[in-house]
Amino acid sequence: MIQAPDIGKVIFEHTSDSHVVELPFGLGEWHLPTGWHLFGVDVSPTKHVVFMVVAAVLVFLTVWYAGRQVERRHREGKAPHGFGGAVEAVVLFVRNDVAIANIGHGGEKFAPYILTLFFFILYCNLLGLLPWGATPTGNLAVTGALALTAFVTIEVSGFRALGPKGYLKTIVFVPPGMTGLGAVAMALIMTPIEIIGKIVKPFALTLRLFANMTAGHFVILALLGLIFIFANWAVAVGSVAFVTFMMLLELLVAFLQAYIFALLTSVFIGMMQHAH
Amino acid sequence: MPTLLRLLVQEEEFTPFSINTGLIFWTLVVFGILLALLWRLGWPAILKAVEDRERRIQQQLEEAERARAESARLLEEHRSMIATAKAESQEMITKARGVAEKERQTLLAQAREQYEDLLARAKKEIDTQKQQAILELRREAVDLSIAAASKLVEANLDSDANRKLVMEYLASLEQRR
Repeated sequence: MIQAPDIGKVIFEHTSDSHVVELPFGLGEWHLPTGWHLFGVDVSPTKHVVFMVVAAVLVFLTVWYAGRQVERRHREGKAPHGFGGAVEAVVLFVRNDVAIANIGHGGEKFAPYILTLFFFILYCNLLGLLPWGATPTGNLAVTGALALTAFVTIEVSGFRALGPKGYLKTIVFVPPGMTGLGAVAMALIMTPIEIIGKIVKPFALTLRLFANMTAGHFVILALLGLIFIFANWAVAVGSVAFVTFMMLLELLVAFLQAYIFALLTSVFIGMMQHAH
Repeated sequence: MPTLLRLLVQEEEFTPFSINTGLIFWTLVVFGILLALLWRLGWPAILKAVEDRERRIQQQLEEAERARAESARLLEEHRSMIATAKAESQEMITKARGVAEKERQTLLAQAREQYEDLLARAKKEIDTQKQQAILELRREAVDLSIAAASKLVEANLDSDANRKLVMEYLASLEQRR
């Protein structure tokens, strides 16, 4: 038996961030600059930063081009058609059935944020499926930062919708009808729970997206790794068949997780707006 | 668990589970810029067109509903108008028929009257003519009788006396009848 490569190391190297971007078509590697510091934090660009920028540029081009097309056809009094029509359908779905349906009255104000979130996550997810690609959303720092924006949006919108007094009630919760010592006791018990509840939401968003994107890549890479461990044609055929299936599943998951992130953020904003 | 913690805490080496503080910063920057750009340049174009279209379709639907109600109202109006016209025409025909009947009656009466008038006049005329004819015939008969008698008698009889005789005879004839 030939020396089996360390598949675990390969998988980790492939899914983790790095300062090196692998370029397609034999162009070699792009070593990103290191040693950038901002307020004592290392902010050197990494592979995931590069792919995030690529995703952001693609999202912007998509939406900008579709917007121009939709606007032009609208001005000419024609029905939506082609690329603009397709993007418009997705935008409408996210705006009406994700944002407005879950946030309720006033959901239109949050639609741009939810839409940007959806498209950005979707493009990041899809970039990870490309050969030589990397998945920024398979990184805890990225999903954590996105969840942080969701957390800030949820809390700030809640504060603005409920006012200082109403917002305080979402932290220090006293069941209605309770007074005196009971109320104090309930407040003491419930306050940590309420605070945990607030933090758990973005935490769940962070982990769900990260775990889903990473797990899919793990499975695909592990299946491909089998080929190198067994070095056997039969295993290779089975492996490739499974990987093809997993890739299709990942395509679904890419859309699904973008949808779920946008949906849950909307639901949390809606819950805050109509708290108690 | 210790392995995971080690992976999380590891600073220099990248692993799938490490949290790179710099990447949080980059994510916020990239996402923030994208959000700002799309908020100003991306979404308004699409959403404005969509909202415009929504409004227009709503307007057209309302207009269609209005037009439908209007046409229904017009149809009802026309129906009632047709019904009125029908009733009116029926009434007119009935009236005309009545007038015609009356006219016919008068005309007939007039014709009958005229006919009777004519008949009476003709009868009277015939009567007069008859009287005249009788008188004439009588005179002729007298003349003939006289002529015959004078031829027969051929005498010097006074013709006035004879006339008188004959006239008396004729008068007696008249009386006998």
